[in-house]
Order: sequence, then C-alpha cells, then structure tokens
Amino acid sequence: MNLHLRLDALRNARDTLLQQPLATLLTVLALAIVLALPVGLFTALNNLQLLLGQWRDQAQISLYLHNDASAADVAKLRARIEHSTGVVAVHYISRAQALADFEHSAGMQAAVDVLGENPLPASLVVEINPLAQSSADLDAQVQSWAKEPVVASAQSDLHWVARLQAILALGTRAVWILALLLALGAVLVMGNTIRLHIAQRRDEIDIASLVGATRSFIRRPFLYQGLIQGLLAGALAWAVVAVAILSLQGPVDRLAALYGTHFTLVGLRPEQGLALIAISAFLGWLGSRIAVGRHLDHTFS
Amino acid sequence: MIEFINVTKHYPGRRHVLREINLRLPKGEMVLLTGPSGAGKSTLLKLLTRLEDVSHGTLMVGGVDLATLKRRHIPAYRRRVGVVFQDHKLLMDRDVYNNVALTLKVAGVPARQIESRVRAALEKVGLGDRLRELPATLSGGEQQRVGIARAIVHTPEILLADEPTGNLDPALSDEILDLFRDFHRHGTTVLVATHDARQIARLGLPALHLEQGRLHAPKEFS
Ligand SMILES: Nc1ncnc2c1ncn2[C@@H]1O[C@H](COP(=O)(O)OP(=O)(O)O)[C@@H](O)[C@H]1O
Ligand SMILES: [Mg+2]
Repeated sequence: MNLHLRLDALRNARDTLLQQPLATLLTVLALAIVLALPVGLFTALNNLQLLLGQWRDQAQISLYLHNDASAADVAKLRARIEHSTGVVAVHYISRAQALADFEHSAGMQAAVDVLGENPLPASLVVEINPLAQSSADLDAQVQSWAKEPVVASAQSDLHWVARLQAILALGTRAVWILALLLALGAVLVMGNTIRLHIAQRRDEIDIASLVGATRSFIRRPFLYQGLIQGLLAGALAWAVVAVAILSLQGPVDRLAALYGTHFTLVGLRPEQGLALIAISAFLGWLGSRIAVGRHLDHTFS
Repeated sequence: MIEFINVTKHYPGRRHVLREINLRLPKGEMVLLTGPSGAGKSTLLKLLTRLEDVSHGTLMVGGVDLATLKRRHIPAYRRRVGVVFQDHKLLMDRDVYNNVALTLKVAGVPARQIESRVRAALEKVGLGDRLRELPATLSGGEQQRVGIARAIVHTPEILLADEPTGNLDPALSDEILDLFRDFHRHGTTVLVATHDARQIARLGLPALHLEQGRLHAPKEFS
C-alpha cells in the first residue's frame, strides 16, 4: 500500500485529535484509568508474591539424618538438593550444633546434663521459596528427599503453602476477570469516541466515497485515531503505575523496618510496559475498527 | 458507451421509479436528461454512480456491468466518473483547493502532481486565483464551479450533473452549461439532468425525456 496514503491518513488522524484537544484528552485519560486499574492490581499481586517468596523462616524443611550416614553421602545429597527447584539454601546442622541449639533455645541445660549422651541427629535444613512450584509438586519433592537412604525422617509443615497458593490463584483469577471486563470497557469507550468522529465527518465520508475513495482509505484515519489514543493511554497508564509505586515505596520502607527487613516494590519491567502500550494501542484500534465496521459500511452499498 | 437494457428500479416498498429503460449513449455524446420533478432523473444518475443498485436489467458503462459490479470494485469505477450536484456538496470547512484535491487524494495521486492538476482544473472553471478561500465566501455560481472542478480534476470519462443550475440565475446557468460543453468538446461523455425548459431550448442538445419512470429517447439512442 502507498506509504504516502498512510502518512496522509496519519496526519489526518493527528489533526482531528488536535482540533479537539479536550475531547482527546478526556478519552485518553478515561482509557488510561481503565487500564491502570488492572495493571496496578497485577503489579500489587506480583509484589505480594515476591514478598512471600522471601518468607524463608516459615518455609523450612528439616531432613533428619541417620547417625551412621557417611559425610560423603550427605554432601552428595546436599549438593543435589541445592540444585532442586525452589531451593534457596541448604544448611547442615551437625549433632553437636543441634544439641547446642537445643540447650540454647529451650534452656534445657539440666535435661541435657541428665541424658549424658547426645540424643539429637544431624540434619539438613532446606529453605525453600514456597511459591516456586505447586504445593503438590513441593510435597512430592519432600517425599522423595525423605526416601533417601541417608535420611531417617523429614519434618515439614507445608499446609500453609497450599493455602497461600490457593489464595494467590484466586486473587490472580479475580484480577484477570477485572482486566478482561475493563479491556472490554476500553474498547467500548474508544468505539463510542470514534462513532462520534464518524458522525461529525459524515459529509466528508460520503463525498470521498462518491469520488472513489476505497473503504480502507476512509477507514484508515479513524483506525489511526484509535491506535494513537490507545498508545497514549497505555503510556499514561504505565506512568500512573510507576508514580503509584514510587509514592508507596516510602510507607513500605517504614513498614518493613518495623519487621526488621526491607522490601523494594517492583514496577513494570520495560518489556512489560511496552506490552501494556501495545495492548492498549490494539484495544484502541479494535474499538475503532468495530465502530467503523458498524457506522461506515452502509456508505459503500 | 453507456447502455441500459430493460433497466428497472424500485426503492424498497415503493412502486417502480424507473421502468424498462433502454438506452445506448455512445462515448463522447452530450445529452440532457429532462422531465418533471419526481420523474426519476436523480435516480437514473444514482444508478450510474452506483449509489443505487439496479433492481432488474443490465446497465453497462464503459465495459463494466454495474448490476454485478463487486463492492470492492466500486471505488475504481467511480474514479472514471465525475458528478456535479445541484447543492454542489462542498466541504465547507475546507478551502477551495482542498475540496478539489480530495478527488485526487482518494485516488492515491502523488502529492506533487495533485497541486498542478488542482490548479489547472480551477483555471478551467475560472477560479485559478481563489485557491485558499473557503466555500462560504464564494457566490452560488462560484461554489458550483468548484463542484465542477472537483468533478473533472481527474479527467473522468463520464461527467454526470444533477440539476447543476437549479439554484442559479439564467446568466450563471448559461456559464455553467457552457463549461460542460467545453468538457464535451474535449471528449468527455456528459449527461446533465435538468427541468429548465429555457436551457433545453437554448442549447439545442439531444434530450432524453423521463416521464413517470419511462424514458423517451431520440431514435439514435434507443
Ligand atoms: N431513496 C429513496 N427512497 C424511496 N423513494 C425515493 C428515493 N429517492 C427517490 N425516491 C422517489 O423516486 C421518485 C423519483 O425521484 P427522483 O429520482 O429524485 O426524481 P427527480 O430527480 O426526477 O425529481 C420520486 O417519487 C421519489 O419520491
Ligand atoms: Mg432530482
């Protein structure tokens, strides 16, 4: 297709949008808000998952070792576990260390003295990211470790992982539904805007059609209008989310400090931001395409 | 060549507006289409621009069968035709130049050719120095001449005009029709609908007469 026709249509679309700056601004703002809402919620969920992924204290599995396990076998198992999915770290707790911890934590000095001999086994303590895999896979993984010859027994309390994952899945699904509804809303907003533009330019469309304009010639400026407004709305939505994250980082810092930790909120990565703009431009184009299909086609009968 | 073979037209839910029209109009002719208001003149011209579909019969224009012409081929067909309306149908928010250039733009004519061709067309209708004026600042006759420039800027094979002088006083009407005769002399087929008896008498052109949907044409055209 002729490049100069496309450029003409693009200029035409730009001029139309600039001739009505307020209407254009309002459409872009409405679209940006509609998009920023689900994107903001996705970002919040993402941050929540990152935060929970760091929740190591809770996500520990203890593998108690046979007293006669050889140091070489234990080292081999440890290396294998360290390379398993979702494993953040593996610590070896020797029998002596276990006893020391026990005395320390429980104030059981006297009891230990009575026992005389150290009754505690050595163990491998596995720290995991509870969200790295499904809770069923995690269970299966723990079972397989428990069956290792050097392992006498495994201890883990991972029911909460299943619950946490179920809650996050629910939240993600809810945000998806909202996102789809709002995407539909964005298409309708754009469709209506373009419908008004078409009505305003009815005379021009009829005359262009009469002197031999093709369907695509007539459609193109309207499609570009949708595309441009969608593009701007996507960029604005990205900016809105970025500003929201910046302004939330301060309170998050203070909250994290109270828990003796720190957490940096994560916004959209550049490729996600660009995807947002692309999706938004597509939605604008789609809304416009639908309006054009409904309101222009009878011109050509 | 324009050829109507048993062409009938009715609008949805109405009796026939055109009945059994038969006509052979050779290339390069200029004829008037006469008849009282409501006779079907505009409808006949709309069939020729494919603004309306033929209900029955065959309508051939320059080798194209309009009854079966596919939608996607209509634009290319319309570029071979120029149309002038009684109310000129100019875009009031665009200057004279851009009104005329529209015909070339939709045809994808390169920008550098557009300027010289638009100027030439406006020279022909005597408005070469009014390029940047808005239609509202022109007189009725001048507006109609812009409409004519828009209809001929792409040098169509066929020029159709629907009561082009209906809103003009006699002197201006004569000017406009003399313009059409000029184009005719240069080889364009011209069909002008009018119910202006004075013009019909003055021009001494062959006339096709429509009356209640029936066409009465001189022998050489039937
Ligand atoms: N779009 C239409 N729908 C229904 N009837 C129409 C339409 N256009 C014209 N007519 C009818 O067709 C007849 C011929 O109209 P027209 O072709 O405009 O005649 P003319 O141009 O000779 O005055 C008239 O009775 C008119 O009311
Ligand atoms: Mg009429």
